[in-house]
Amino acid sequence: MGKIMILNGSPRAPKSNSKRYAEIFSKYCTAETEYYNITKKNHLELCAKMEDYSDVLFVFPLYADSLPVVFLNFLKTLEANPPRRKPVISILINCGFLEYQQNKVAIRMMKFFCHQNHYIIGSILMLGSGEAILDTPFRYVATRNIRKLAQSIASKNYQLIRATMPLTKKLFLMASTIYWKRFGQKFGTTKEQMQTMEIEGEN
Amino acid sequence: MSDKPLDISIRQDSETRYFDLSSLKIANCMGCFGCWTKTPGKCVIRDDATKVYPCIAKSDKVLYVSRLKYGGYDTIMKTMLERAIPVQQAFIRIHNGETHHVQRAVVPKEATIIAYGNISDEEKDIFRQLVARNASNMSFSSHEIIFTTESMVEDQVKRILEKWEK
Repeated sequence: MGKIMILNGSPRAPKSNSKRYAEIFSKYCTAETEYYNITKKNHLELCAKMEDYSDVLFVFPLYADSLPVVFLNFLKTLEANPPRRKPVISILINCGFLEYQQNKVAIRMMKFFCHQNHYIIGSILMLGSGEAILDTPFRYVATRNIRKLAQSIASKNYQLIRATMPLTKKLFLMASTIYWKRFGQKFGTTKEQMQTMEIEGEN
Repeated sequence: MSDKPLDISIRQDSETRYFDLSSLKIANCMGCFGCWTKTPGKCVIRDDATKVYPCIAKSDKVLYVSRLKYGGYDTIMKTMLERAIPVQQAFIRIHNGETHHVQRAVVPKEATIIAYGNISDEEKDIFRQLVARNASNMSFSSHEIIFTTESMVEDQVKRILEKWEK
């Protein structure tokens, strides 16, 4: 059985949902896993380590409709410093919107990168409603599909998996409003203050 | 807004603003959600990005010049676009049949994007999809993409500016 390297490409990697997803992945994966945050300073070290693994799982959020820039920068370093032996690349991407389909452009960019740099694409999990899902009754949706992802990579029976909260758009809108209102309350910010139309104090 | 200096004369007044992003100090978005939940409408990182995103929000026409990488914006432009999220609220709305963030005082805009570099057909196709997604999240009422080589960027910018002045 191979060994899987998990790389977290979230800009807030140590405190990210991506980290929590990676932990669930490791919990259910029957193969050995090793986890790393991508930081500004460790690109070359991670590129060199990659050759020790049969598979790499990139975990990252959708940012401004595509790859987070911290992750994009890592891919550019990887392109310039490829490992001697190339692992199979799998992806776990999450977006805060209900529709997992909003991740499609980022997946196309990843496929383009892999094709251009001769990496085989393994499994892909596109997750919608990923900002909040782990703290809701729908946590099981994320857990179940991450387990499926882990099994597919460990068994090399690679798959495309899609998941989101089983809610209508209107219900999702209501649930997300409650989520963000509570988020603001932690900092003493009211819903009305969060709804300001002002940008840098100007309307 | 350009990711490289443009060697052309661009009028700078109350109606037109030009930003050479490569000359500005703009850090990466940390994903802290501070601009939605702690200081709504203001980024907690007080660098040059805070001068740029209010202008993006107020503009009814934008011209973005960016190198392409893997079918998306390269680092400089992408860094700025990620830092522009204070123009949105945390709250979600249904827009064009999908869930998207509510916008603050953002004027709907005609967007022109000049994408340059050695661009394959596949990258062009990915980028067209990306900009179509940006349209929903960045209030583009219409958009045009011009693919070109780096050496032709300034000619293309001049052409767009002349068109705007007519």
